[in-house]
Amino acid sequence: MPEDPENKAGESNEGISRRGFLSSVSAGAVAAAALKGAPEAPAQEIHAGNKAVTINLSVNGSTRKILVEPRWTLLYVLRDAIGLTGTKIGCERGECGACTVLIDGKPRYSCLTLAVEAEGRAITTIEGLLEGDKLGPVQRAFAEEDALQCGFCTPGQIMAVEGLLRSNPNPTLDQIRIGVSGNLCRCGVYKNVFNAAAKASRLRVYKGGA
Amino acid sequence: MMDNFDYIKAGSLAEAFKALSTKGARLLAGGTDLLGCARDGVFPVEKVVSISNIKELKGITARPDGGLRIGALTSLADIAADASLTRKYQALAQAAAAVGTPQIREQGTLGGNICQRPRCWYFRGDFLCLKKGGSVCYAVTGENQYHAIFGGSPCFFVHPSDAAVALAALQAQVRVAGPSGSRTVRMDNFFVGPGKSIDKENVLLPNEIVTEIHLPPASGEVKSVYRKIASRGSWDFALASVAAVLQLENGNIRTASLVLGGVAPYPWRIGAAEKLLAGKKLDKALAAAAGNEAVAGARPLGENGYKVDMVKGAVEEVLAAIM
Amino acid sequence: MSEFYDKLEESFRRSFEPAAPPDDQMQPWGGTRIVGKELPRVDAFERVSGKAQYTYDVILPEMVYGATLRCPHAHAMVKSIDTSAAENMPGVVAILTGKSPGADIPWYGGKPPQSKLFDPHCRYQGDEVAAVAAQTPYQAWDAVKAIKVEYEVLPFVIDEESALKADAPKIHEGGNAAGKPMSMRRGDVEKGFAEADVELEETFCTSVQIHANGEVHGSVIKWDGNKITIWDSTQGVYDACMISFARTMGLPYNNVRVICRYMGGGFGSKLEMGKYTVMAALLSRQAGRPVKMMLSREETMLCVGNRPNAKMTLKAGVKKDGTLTALQLTNVYTPGAYSAGASVGFLVQELYKCPNVMVTESGAYTNVGRARAFRAPGFPTGAWALEQMMDMLAEKLNMDPVEFRLKNFTDVSQTRKMPYSSAGLKDCLIEGAKKFGWKEAKAMPKGDSHIKRGFGMAAGLWMMGSGGPPYTAEVRMFADGGVTIKAGAMDIGTGTKTVACMVAAEELDVPLENIRIINADTALTPYASSSGGSMTLPGLVPAVRRGAWIVKRQIFEWAAGALAVPTDDLEIRGNSVVSRSNPDKKRTLEELFRSKGVMDVIGIGNREPNPANKAIMPFGAHFAEIEVNTQTGEVKVVRLVAANESGRVINRKTFECQVFGGMVMGLGYALTEKRVMDRRTGKMCNANLHDYKVPGALDVPVNHEVLPVDLQDNECNNVGCKGLGEPAHVPTAAAIANAVYDAIGVRPNNGPIDSRMILELLSKKKRG
Repeated sequence: MPEDPENKAGESNEGISRRGFLSSVSAGAVAAAALKGAPEAPAQEIHAGNKAVTINLSVNGSTRKILVEPRWTLLYVLRDAIGLTGTKIGCERGECGACTVLIDGKPRYSCLTLAVEAEGRAITTIEGLLEGDKLGPVQRAFAEEDALQCGFCTPGQIMAVEGLLRSNPNPTLDQIRIGVSGNLCRCGVYKNVFNAAAKASRLRVYKGGA
Repeated sequence: MMDNFDYIKAGSLAEAFKALSTKGARLLAGGTDLLGCARDGVFPVEKVVSISNIKELKGITARPDGGLRIGALTSLADIAADASLTRKYQALAQAAAAVGTPQIREQGTLGGNICQRPRCWYFRGDFLCLKKGGSVCYAVTGENQYHAIFGGSPCFFVHPSDAAVALAALQAQVRVAGPSGSRTVRMDNFFVGPGKSIDKENVLLPNEIVTEIHLPPASGEVKSVYRKIASRGSWDFALASVAAVLQLENGNIRTASLVLGGVAPYPWRIGAAEKLLAGKKLDKALAAAAGNEAVAGARPLGENGYKVDMVKGAVEEVLAAIM
Repeated sequence: MSEFYDKLEESFRRSFEPAAPPDDQMQPWGGTRIVGKELPRVDAFERVSGKAQYTYDVILPEMVYGATLRCPHAHAMVKSIDTSAAENMPGVVAILTGKSPGADIPWYGGKPPQSKLFDPHCRYQGDEVAAVAAQTPYQAWDAVKAIKVEYEVLPFVIDEESALKADAPKIHEGGNAAGKPMSMRRGDVEKGFAEADVELEETFCTSVQIHANGEVHGSVIKWDGNKITIWDSTQGVYDACMISFARTMGLPYNNVRVICRYMGGGFGSKLEMGKYTVMAALLSRQAGRPVKMMLSREETMLCVGNRPNAKMTLKAGVKKDGTLTALQLTNVYTPGAYSAGASVGFLVQELYKCPNVMVTESGAYTNVGRARAFRAPGFPTGAWALEQMMDMLAEKLNMDPVEFRLKNFTDVSQTRKMPYSSAGLKDCLIEGAKKFGWKEAKAMPKGDSHIKRGFGMAAGLWMMGSGGPPYTAEVRMFADGGVTIKAGAMDIGTGTKTVACMVAAEELDVPLENIRIINADTALTPYASSSGGSMTLPGLVPAVRRGAWIVKRQIFEWAAGALAVPTDDLEIRGNSVVSRSNPDKKRTLEELFRSKGVMDVIGIGNREPNPANKAIMPFGAHFAEIEVNTQTGEVKVVRLVAANESGRVINRKTFECQVFGGMVMGLGYALTEKRVMDRRTGKMCNANLHDYKVPGALDVPVNHEVLPVDLQDNECNNVGCKGLGEPAHVPTAAAIANAVYDAIGVRPNNGPIDSRMILELLSKKKRG
């Protein structure tokens, strides 16, 4: 990979190490990914207001206990409380699709879903499609078909296609077009998205996935 | 950004009725409309009462009379894909498929779709309009290209629901439950125009909930169609839409049920066109005549006169396609 | 805008002494091994895995969130601000108003400055009034709502014609005229019209288009003493952020580090520093904590730019044989509440050979959000008028529109008065028409269905697209053959990083996998201009090639000495340098490096000036097939074909992707996109992504083809490439408008051509 993976935020050469970054996030906002079970997150109480409630969220196969305000959207909790920033914020009103995740296998807008409403449901984010350090079939197809430019809407597009293929493993072109019609791409790469979805369908079938 | 609110996940209808009886309490089914309104501050949201977990409000089942019962929490995606609907009540399946986007259809419910609040940009935006307790309908002299050409006065929003238009054409009934019991309301009587009620769009009392929709039996040769015209192929509300349900007999129309969407504050039944069609054989001329009949009485505002042509054209096209 | 670009373009050719004059001319590549291929992006993994970190994704320890209180009125004076309630809200850590220390900052330029960071005179709905930082974004917005502001609401004006009336509300001290009218004259238009056999005049209007980029604008700020790190969603870490910020805050450049590795779209709207960056920095100082301040979608629709509307009257004269004799354009526009470029006239002066041209443009301030650069500023708008007029003239002359354009082709730039390095218009027209099947399409019978099919085309060019200095790339080769490029250039989605790696791999003769690129970090990567004007690729990759070439030359000189062979007999194979004529003669890179006491070789490539005697512009011709439902007014684009000449194609995949994108944005401009302002209140009706209609997956054609036209331009720079992002967008909307005319026989002078417009045009036609 010719891309520079370091030097993300928190790793400036002014001295914050990656380790320091992660531990401070977990103190402030329940980055419980590495921990088994459903740890409590006392520091979260600083942020959540007095109407706060504790919920258990199942994200990419692991369950986390999180204190949230009822108004917090699933999108906000995924990104800022859990640290899964692959799911993007575009409009926060269900009009662009950048925040698409799977809830019980169906594509939905996490910005129009309250975190409290997602309790007890299985949530899958773009990070959940990785197979170890390898891309999942839909991700791979998007990379190979160049179905992106700036890449900001891409995680949402990929989740929409993943959701489509889970319920319809061999979609027609029209079904693909409808399947991604809830995801705006201002860079306008729709044609490549259609191609990627068709390719992803073949890759998944080859893998025996459904 | 949303103000904070209390949240109650109701385990039963009874719990929901109780929770809804306080001021500022709002019902959440799929949430696609409520959260948008909360974010825009269209109305105060002090308590959110979620009924999303009440399982008995989901699903499509046959009724003893041969019709169908659709639970109010059934998702629009399930309605669009349901075989019994696509076969016999195509207009409803088409209308459900025309809503929003795949994500909205997975999340949005049938009950929520017919109860959603208007999409008028003055109502949703930072304008103290008539419907929000202000003194003017900004649309009258304002940017009214998307507004009503029928039944508007004094507030000219158009009802945003696709499903309601199809349901009205299908002569559906709405089951409504509240703390003191249930009642059945004909779809045609479910909505209330702005002339009668400015701050709400339907007959529901604050603590009442739509629980199910009943579709009458579809017997004999029935053609039903929903056609939507919008600015974009997805994530758009109708500029105009037509739901047509024709009962055919020996090549003639026995009865016709024609309802328009996107042009009035509630699904707009065009009785004159229905009468014109009844008992006749459908041909090009009749389709065109029905189109003309459909827009008789339209009263466009400054910028929405095109909707008259659009409705006329759409009605004609829909009928011609059935021929 | 065009004036700015004129000066810039001139500077690219003349006003630079190359920092390190090349002592050896690089030859153009003959055949290429990697360049020109269809390859996936080098950062595709990051972008599809969710690992790419955009500004919005930056989360820092102790970070708090900013939000802005904006004026809700079109025009108002702030009388008082009471922040006491907000200060006591849960989670609030800082509040900023114009009276806060360090917040009295001039803004929008001008002498005296047009405005301030927080100007009590609010000139549009969205002008900044105060800002807050709190522990969650929810709490920040709660606090914004709790700030009490007393406004004196003023009369407003939102359209440019009313703004110029004597009794119009005054938006600025000096009145509402936005600068002096701009006038350009070539030849003698009166004479030109006198010579014409046919003369047409028509008025064309376009609506305000909004960028609607995926990632909203915003910054994350972290102070370390008087040094600051800014993660900014920007199109230029240097010019659009670091330099402006340092000057504004009185800091040395060196104290300001700006990082933007991934950016979620800007299209011109992120070419200047935002108020949010400075507000976040001031809030962060106050709070002693890092601050993230991202705008809401609604704020981006109101406050951070748009493509201004235009009212263009174009008069054209032409001889019977199709020779243009005169073009005269007048345009009136509004830049919004503050000054911004909005000129549309360049295309009329440049695209076709015409001896007599006159362009007059004037603007007026209004109480609406200010314009910013937007993908080929002025060009899609100018094309809307010019290319519809060209079709009207062709029809009058009974000529085919493609033939008519070819008739007026020129290979000499009329504004620069010098030949083009490559004059792609002709080939784009010819090859594009062939690919589309233009002749066959135009010969198709119209049929009697109420759904009418139409075919249309339009051409365009982009005045920049040459790129030019300054751009620096550092190319560093390790002893194992690995290469790291460092460049300050942005990759805003165009594939900059990918093409830079491909060019280095090509020049160094190493596999693409060996190359890694680090970009857009002012502390680590050398200077690059902002990514605007389609200048990044032709600005950067010649510098990358030069840097790679310097590295290669150094290594070959060492190897030539060690192996006693001439340098031109050498090539890099794996981690060795090998003699072509005698492959037994070789040295590993490690051996060579060690023998010289180094572990890496670094080449600093500077972008060399452009040729002094050539005009460098990219060209394109777009073709559209559409269907119009004449009963319902629906327009469906069935097919789009683009022929674009932008010099050498570095990566066929990213080339096509970018042209698709340009056309889709043009489709939106033609059919659905329009800012709607409420006349009664001066407020925006559609400041969201539902009511402002960006095309979605069901609105674009599946049948969508791109034809790269490569004329082997070896003069423009050492790689032979020109810019693409903007020319890919310029002609599309006009091509669709021409197709609509072909379908319904009525000219859609005004855009966007939505169903309403179609039905109104048809109804007018019926009434006669």
